[in-house]
Amino acid sequence: MEETRTVSAQWELSTYKFRIEGGGLQLMLRGMKEGRFKGVRCHKCGFVYLPAPFYCRKCYIKIHEPVDVDDHGTIMSYTVVMSDIRGNPMEEPQISLMVKLDGCDSWIMGTLKGKDWRDVAIGQRVKIKWAEQRTGTLQDMECFVPAED
Amino acid sequence: MENKVAIVGVNLDSALDIEKSRERLIFDLVRGLMDDLGIEPTDVDTTIFATNDFLVGRTISNVFEDSPAGVYMRDESKVEMDATNAVMYGTMRILSGNYQTALIVSQGLCGHQVSPYLHISYSLNPIYDRQLGLLNELSAAAFQARDFLTKYGFGDDLMHAIAANSLANAALNPRQARQLPDISPQQVSESPYYYEPLRELHCYPPTDGGCAILLASAERAKELTDKPVWILGLGSSMDTYYIVERDLTVAPSATKAAKRAYEMAGISDPAREICFAEIAALFAHQEPILAEALGLMEASDAAEKYQSGETAIDGKLPINPSGGALGGHPIPATGGFRVAEATLQLRGEAGKNQVKDPKRAVVLGQDGICAQQNSVLVLGI
Repeated sequence: MEETRTVSAQWELSTYKFRIEGGGLQLMLRGMKEGRFKGVRCHKCGFVYLPAPFYCRKCYIKIHEPVDVDDHGTIMSYTVVMSDIRGNPMEEPQISLMVKLDGCDSWIMGTLKGKDWRDVAIGQRVKIKWAEQRTGTLQDMECFVPAED
Repeated sequence: MENKVAIVGVNLDSALDIEKSRERLIFDLVRGLMDDLGIEPTDVDTTIFATNDFLVGRTISNVFEDSPAGVYMRDESKVEMDATNAVMYGTMRILSGNYQTALIVSQGLCGHQVSPYLHISYSLNPIYDRQLGLLNELSAAAFQARDFLTKYGFGDDLMHAIAANSLANAALNPRQARQLPDISPQQVSESPYYYEPLRELHCYPPTDGGCAILLASAERAKELTDKPVWILGLGSSMDTYYIVERDLTVAPSATKAAKRAYEMAGISDPAREICFAEIAALFAHQEPILAEALGLMEASDAAEKYQSGETAIDGKLPINPSGGALGGHPIPATGGFRVAEATLQLRGEAGKNQVKDPKRAVVLGQDGICAQQNSVLVLGI
C-alpha cells in the first residue's frame, strides 16, 4: 500500500504562433541585414530601446522615434557558461555578455569570442562581428569580439 | 494593521526526493495541520493554492489538488505565483469580513519530477530571448552576481560566506531538504561551477516539498491557538521582465513592497525593529541585495556583516536562520516556507534554529528572473 512508483510522461504540445508587433523588432532585424542597429527612443523620457516595444515600458506611451545605435559597446556584465542549464558540462567554457551599445539604454546579450574567459572584465570594450551572409534574423549577430577603441 | 489576521498553524515538509506522490504530500500536510489544530475541512472557509502549472505538468492543476487538501463543495482559489502572494490573498479575504479562516496550500516537486530551471526558460519572451538562447535562470543570476561583486569590489569569498551561513543553518533544520553538516566557505568554494561566478552551492537545490498554513481572524484565532502570530503588514511590487533594462545590483520592487509593509506595521527603522529576516534568496548574492531593499543592511557592508557573524542565528540580525532557499526551493512554496519558519521562530518552536526571543520578523518571497516580483510580510507577536 505504501509503495510509490514513478512513471515518465511526455507532452506533445501544439505549435504556437507568436505574432510579432511590427515596430521595434522588425526595425532591428531590417537594420541588422544591413549590418547596423536601429533602436527606438521614447520622446518623453529619452530611453532608447533595442529591440523596442511599441510603447515605453516606463512612461506607458506609444513610441515611434527611430535612432541609430552603434555596434560597439561596453561590457556591463558577463558569465562563463561551464555547464548548460540541464547540468551537462560544456566542452569549452562559453562567455555570455550583457553589453550596453553606444547610443542605447537597454542592454543586449551575446557571446564573446577571441578572449580567454579569465581576462574578461566589466567595462571592457567590444564590438559586434556581423555574419557575412545576413538574412535579417538574430543570427546576423555572429558574436562579440574585443574592440580596440 | 494591528492584530486582525493571525497565522494559527503551519505544516511543512521537504526533501531532495520526497518519495511521495503530489496528492499524498498535500494530504499529509493538510490532514496533519488539521489534526494539530483539532479541526475538520468544515472549519476552513476558503482555500488558496500557490502552484505552478508548468511544474505540475497540468493546466489548471489546482482542480486535482482540491480533494487531497480537503476541498469538496467548498470555496477555493489559486495564485500562479510564490506562496507569499497566496498568504496575502488569504489575509485580504479575511479582512473583507466574509471569511474567518483561510487555508494556504503550496507545493512543488522539482526535486524528482522536472528540472526547476525549465520553468523560467519556458517563461521567456518567445520571439527574442528564446531565439537568442542565452538567457535562462542561471545565466541571469550569474550576470546579477557578477554585477553585484564588481559594484562593491567584493570577491567570490563573500558568496561562499553567505552560502555557508545559510547552509549551516539548513543543516540544523530537519524541515530543510539540503543537509550538509559541517559545511564551510571552503567547501562552497570547491563545489563545481555552473555559470561562473555561480557554483553549485551558491544556488538553490532542486527540491520537493510543500506547506500548509492556516490564517484566521482575531476572533477565530483565539479559539484555535494560544500562540497567534499576527500579520502586521504586507506589500508587493513588480519590476520589468526585461533584465536588460534593470540595474540588477538593486531590487527597487522589493524596496517598494517593504515600504508598504513597514508602513502598515508601523515600523520606521527596520534594522532596529526587526528581530530576524526570512528572505527567499535563490542564489547567495541575492541575500544582501534583498536585505538592503528590506532596510536591514547596506549591501556595501555585506562582507563585514557576513564575516563578523552578525547574520548568524545568534548574531545581531539573523538572516535566514532556517537556512533559507539555499536549503530548499520547492517552487512556488518557498515564500510559504519562509512564512512558516518565521512563524515557528516567533512561537519559540524553531528548535536548533531558534533566534533568541524574537518579536518582529520580515519575510520576503519572490518570483521571476532575478527577483522580478517581490512580496513582503511583517509578522509579529
